[in-house]
Amino acid sequence: MASTPPPQKTSPFAVAKTVFWSFFGIRKGRDYQSDIAKITPMQAIIGGLIGAAIFIATLVTIVQVVLSK
Amino acid sequence: MEAVHGHDHAHDHHHPTGITRWLTTTNHKDIGSMYLWFSFTMFITGGILALGIRAELFQPGLQLWKPEFFNQLTTMHGLMMVFGAIMPAFVGFANWQIPLMIGASDMAFARMNNFSFWLLPPAALLLASSFFVPGGATGAGWTLYAPLSVQQGMGMDLAIFAVHIMGASSIMGSINIIVTILNMRAPGMTLMKMPLFVWTWLITAYLLIAVMPVLAGAVTMLLTDRHFGTNFFNAAGGGDPVLYQHVFWFFGHPEVYIMILPAFGIVSQVIPTFARKPLFGYASMVYATASIAILSFIVWAHHMFVTGMPAAGQLFFMYATMLIAVPTGVKVFNWVATMWKGSMTFETPMLFSVGFLFVFTMGGFTGLVCAVAPIDIQIQDTYYVVAHFHYVLVAGSLFALFSGTYFWLPKWTGHMYDEKLGKLHFWLSMIFFNMTFFVMHFLGLAGMPRRIPDYSQQFADFNMIASIGAFGFGLTQLIFLAVIIKCIKGGPKAPAKPWEGADTLEWTLPSPAPYHTFETPPVVK
Repeated sequence: MASTPPPQKTSPFAVAKTVFWSFFGIRKGRDYQSDIAKITPMQAIIGGLIGAAIFIATLVTIVQVVLSK
Repeated sequence: MEAVHGHDHAHDHHHPTGITRWLTTTNHKDIGSMYLWFSFTMFITGGILALGIRAELFQPGLQLWKPEFFNQLTTMHGLMMVFGAIMPAFVGFANWQIPLMIGASDMAFARMNNFSFWLLPPAALLLASSFFVPGGATGAGWTLYAPLSVQQGMGMDLAIFAVHIMGASSIMGSINIIVTILNMRAPGMTLMKMPLFVWTWLITAYLLIAVMPVLAGAVTMLLTDRHFGTNFFNAAGGGDPVLYQHVFWFFGHPEVYIMILPAFGIVSQVIPTFARKPLFGYASMVYATASIAILSFIVWAHHMFVTGMPAAGQLFFMYATMLIAVPTGVKVFNWVATMWKGSMTFETPMLFSVGFLFVFTMGGFTGLVCAVAPIDIQIQDTYYVVAHFHYVLVAGSLFALFSGTYFWLPKWTGHMYDEKLGKLHFWLSMIFFNMTFFVMHFLGLAGMPRRIPDYSQQFADFNMIASIGAFGFGLTQLIFLAVIIKCIKGGPKAPAKPWEGADTLEWTLPSPAPYHTFETPPVVK
């Protein structure tokens, strides 16, 4: 097993920011390294699932707005 | 200590020989080679079926086959290429390369690895032998849509069992890959230092575990509808054939990404090597891959716009599908930026990767065209769709597989391949591929339906061009076979690192890679 330093604590906002950039597919190398140091895989997975739910809800809302006109 | 080590080392090399070696092997390199040869065999078999299709379509009218047999050809061509050729080929690459690239001595579950492979030949035999049972092979299309698949003969049952077995093999392979990557990386190789091929396979393995059981569920429901009195998909019994399409495509769309993400990984190794620059935006490449994987789960119904979906459903799946262009675009721009101002040379692996970039992007754009619901309703089930997915799967997955093969062949065999023949293989493949499939866009836009053995006179010229191209493409693949056999048998000795710009761990090993490697893990700084 590769040795990785224990992750530091991070805020939900930082996880949300990382998930947002991951959906877009772009991230600064520096921020990426900091994500890796601070965010645990569990936080990333939970953040990703919440992000996906928000993404779907946003799309559904847009569809409803388009159809209501 | 040294003496003990020496004894162990000698003992290791008393492995069985002949057929027993291949039946019982737990060595990732042996298993990788078997996967690659198996997938090449299926590629040639599926290719011969494709030539049967193109021979019939060379001119209008029924020349060679009965319509029922023609449908069997299209169905089995699709099943064999998807489940027999492309997927096992990528698993072959994973077996060979992942342990070498992360500094592991083998795959995590070596015996399960052997079992994963040896499930495949029986599945392939089931598929191939289904041509010879009463009623012949299934002709329901590779998607096995109900209600046709509920009604067909026993060839359908053989296909269902084959899909079950290949699915089990894929799931075991994926578990192996995930555990290997997460647990067996060399000291110092953090996730962020992993080569991109390893990253793409990690994400692909999760996709496989998520969706193969869904396919297994779909075909099991088909089986119980056929033989055990259930009515999941039988409208006469209160079932719903459209339910099958939903379940199938919930598997089927992530499956498209299962077949393309490892290709992205190969290209992401090859382009930086021959541009002699690090991959531009490594971080964004990882993020884009993860993003594509997540999005792949919420777009499945774009395959079903003509099934009578409400406008809200059409808009949702249209928007979600078009958004996939964002992370995919990020990847394409990153590859282009990697090449920008690089010291590029165009050996065969690079030619295939650049060819991939050019032609796969065209397939991506036609995918966007298909994503627009009102357009899709016009081109659904026409040759436009056939052109689109062959641009993705042949020019995408297959060209990346060729690129990867030429790239790592010196490491696998210890010999350099014949560069002239390799380049000839690339240029002929590129020309004949476009000759075959580019004209299909025109055929589709003009309204020629797919999966038909006969067509109207106005489609004759383009079909003739496509058929000539297809036979050219098929014959060109014999050059590939010749290059590989020639390279295995001999040729100039390959150095440990034949490519100047290569920097991953496998190039620190001698060529050919010894039977056992990284018994002591390397330290990555």
